[in-house]
Amino acid sequence: MRLDISKLDVRALMRFDACMRCGECTTTCPTGGEAQQVELVTPRGKILRLRGYIRDQMGLRARLLGPRDIPEEGMRELASRAYECTICGQCASVCPAHLDTIEMWENMREFLVANGLGPLEAHGQLVKSIENYDNPWMQPRTQRSRWARHVGGDVKVPDSLKERHDVLYFVGCTAAYDPNIRAMAVNTARVLSRAGMDYGTLGNQEACCGSTLLRTGLRENARAMAEKNIANFERADPSMIVTSCAGCYKTLRQDYPRLGTLRPRVVHITDLVDGLLRDGRLALRKGFERRVAFHDPCHLGRHNGLYEEPRRILEMIDGLRLVEMERNREEARCCGAGGGVKTAFAELADDISVMRVRDAEAVGAEVLTTSCPFCYQSLKAAIESSGSKLVMMDLMELVWSACDPSPDEGRRGF
Amino acid sequence: MSPMPRGGYLSDRAVLYVPLFLLLLVFSAVVIALPYDTVYVRDRAFLSAFLVSIVLCVAVFVVGTVSNMLVWMQGAGLRGTPERRLVRASMVVARTVLSRRFVKVVTVLLGDALYLSRLKGRSVSRWFMHLMILGGFVLMFMLDLLVTLSLDILRYGPMIEEGGWAKLWLRDFGFDLVGLMMLVGLCIAGVRRFLLRPTMLRTEIPDAASIVFLLAVVLGGFVLEGMGIAGSIPGHTSDVEYSFVGYAFSLLMPESAGEWYDVAWLMHGVMSALLIAYIPFSKLFHMISTPIAIELDGLVSAREVGRR
Repeated sequence: MRLDISKLDVRALMRFDACMRCGECTTTCPTGGEAQQVELVTPRGKILRLRGYIRDQMGLRARLLGPRDIPEEGMRELASRAYECTICGQCASVCPAHLDTIEMWENMREFLVANGLGPLEAHGQLVKSIENYDNPWMQPRTQRSRWARHVGGDVKVPDSLKERHDVLYFVGCTAAYDPNIRAMAVNTARVLSRAGMDYGTLGNQEACCGSTLLRTGLRENARAMAEKNIANFERADPSMIVTSCAGCYKTLRQDYPRLGTLRPRVVHITDLVDGLLRDGRLALRKGFERRVAFHDPCHLGRHNGLYEEPRRILEMIDGLRLVEMERNREEARCCGAGGGVKTAFAELADDISVMRVRDAEAVGAEVLTTSCPFCYQSLKAAIESSGSKLVMMDLMELVWSACDPSPDEGRRGF
Repeated sequence: MSPMPRGGYLSDRAVLYVPLFLLLLVFSAVVIALPYDTVYVRDRAFLSAFLVSIVLCVAVFVVGTVSNMLVWMQGAGLRGTPERRLVRASMVVARTVLSRRFVKVVTVLLGDALYLSRLKGRSVSRWFMHLMILGGFVLMFMLDLLVTLSLDILRYGPMIEEGGWAKLWLRDFGFDLVGLMMLVGLCIAGVRRFLLRPTMLRTEIPDAASIVFLLAVVLGGFVLEGMGIAGSIPGHTSDVEYSFVGYAFSLLMPESAGEWYDVAWLMHGVMSALLIAYIPFSKLFHMISTPIAIELDGLVSAREVGRR
């Protein structure tokens, strides 16, 4: 077969040549190195295979003697293996050549899509669902704002498209639709209300941020979703967009400016709450006497550099003892769910999640917390499947509990 | 059947290849025109053979490097033919290097590309190994340029005269020191790759070839120097201890080794030239591409929207 490399970024092609073959990435790669020991899944394996094919087709030898045919089987194997990557960015943080591998893998998937080799069949349903329902979970649009009914108390979640609010809370599909995760949205809304924030949501008009599409290489499809959301952001006209989902945060903050024009500042709820606590606009009155480990979501940590904000929040909770897993911050092990791996390779994702649960157990944590719905979902499932005694909690759940709500209010919605 | 070339086919290519050809021509003319009065080899035919090999190998190096870069230029993000893209990209690089960002360019190059700050944090032994090889190679290249300039263009006395400070400290001690740096680094690399074999290493022909090739050139240099000292070849007769590694090698050689000095000199020269030609086609190409990639990521912020 012949490869169309026009979708590969100039810098990605350059980075393929910049790889030193040192193998630093192979030992820490959660899917290729730690879970499977399959070289082709690791960054070095992918780079060397693709670089070899590209050189066969357009290197000096190909220019002088004609290109070699690229074996379709080899390319298909590479494509499948490339989708086993969670795009966690661990390789980017260990690469001595400072290669921005996060950008490379996303770009490689765009290239695979352009060559008819991606996304994988398993991703097809998610893609169709996003196109038909604006969410990957095959749920009707009219149900998107249903989570808000669970907020309770005097808290109302206003619609930013009906009246202007300074802050727009972008809920995200998983927290909005998944009954096991919606407490994340519920507690975020409660915390925002408690802090007296003037906020609203897009209600049923919110569409998928497009993260799933971008991570699987469907940039053009993602552009359509981005345009839909950006048009609503324009209508709502907030000065700030806050997200509780790390994936939405990365997408809105890093990808939207490349796909369209985004005027409001995008912040993650951990960043906002950290600021609110430090400014005294939010007070934590109730203690939490537990040993808590924080799992750094890749999209929040390595992709966006938010490491200290969630930790500062946890340290402000009375009695809470923050314990660090051996691999934390830049070195944090991925939960295994990202990059479409959970959808296409569920077992692999589960294996990695269990490893992360073991990390938390090893440091004597009683509670494992995070601030990403996907990490939450995977780690909770891993705790259950591995028979661990750990308790999984979302960071906003902890914050809301510490805000001293009524006895049963904190866990309502779970 | 390939399609007929469009209009501008020739000019698109000429914009890159004509200056490149002229550059190579000038380089060749300079290499051939230099007097080489102070060169250690006695037979001028050997010198000529070396000069021909260096010109050819540098040409192969340039063609290979440009060919690799033209592959990069076929990616998304730029407009025009790959050749025009490469010329434009080179202009941007030149403008950036010569701009107020020069200090940042140098800082990124020294800290991230040469000193390998990140690798040091992960493993001091791997960092030391790489620093010895890369540092030795870069210093050897710079020293070579400096010595050639001093000898054949500036005719700098202390670099030429026996006992001159520059000859003793730069030509004798300096070359041995940077050569030893490379040798130490290569030995660590060899032991790691062929004896210890940690799981992170993937040893294939290109990996082994690069180490063996570099080792052959470095060791060849010390053997050559040892032969020169043992055979009392001009330039190797006094203060030989300054060439401390070559001197150690000379102790293992008979005086008659000097008879083969010219042959060994040519072999070492041709091996070094071949190493240069081999770079774009081997893993050693990362010596060029990695600093470029690091510089680009360090300097170009357009794609890093929102990244902290």
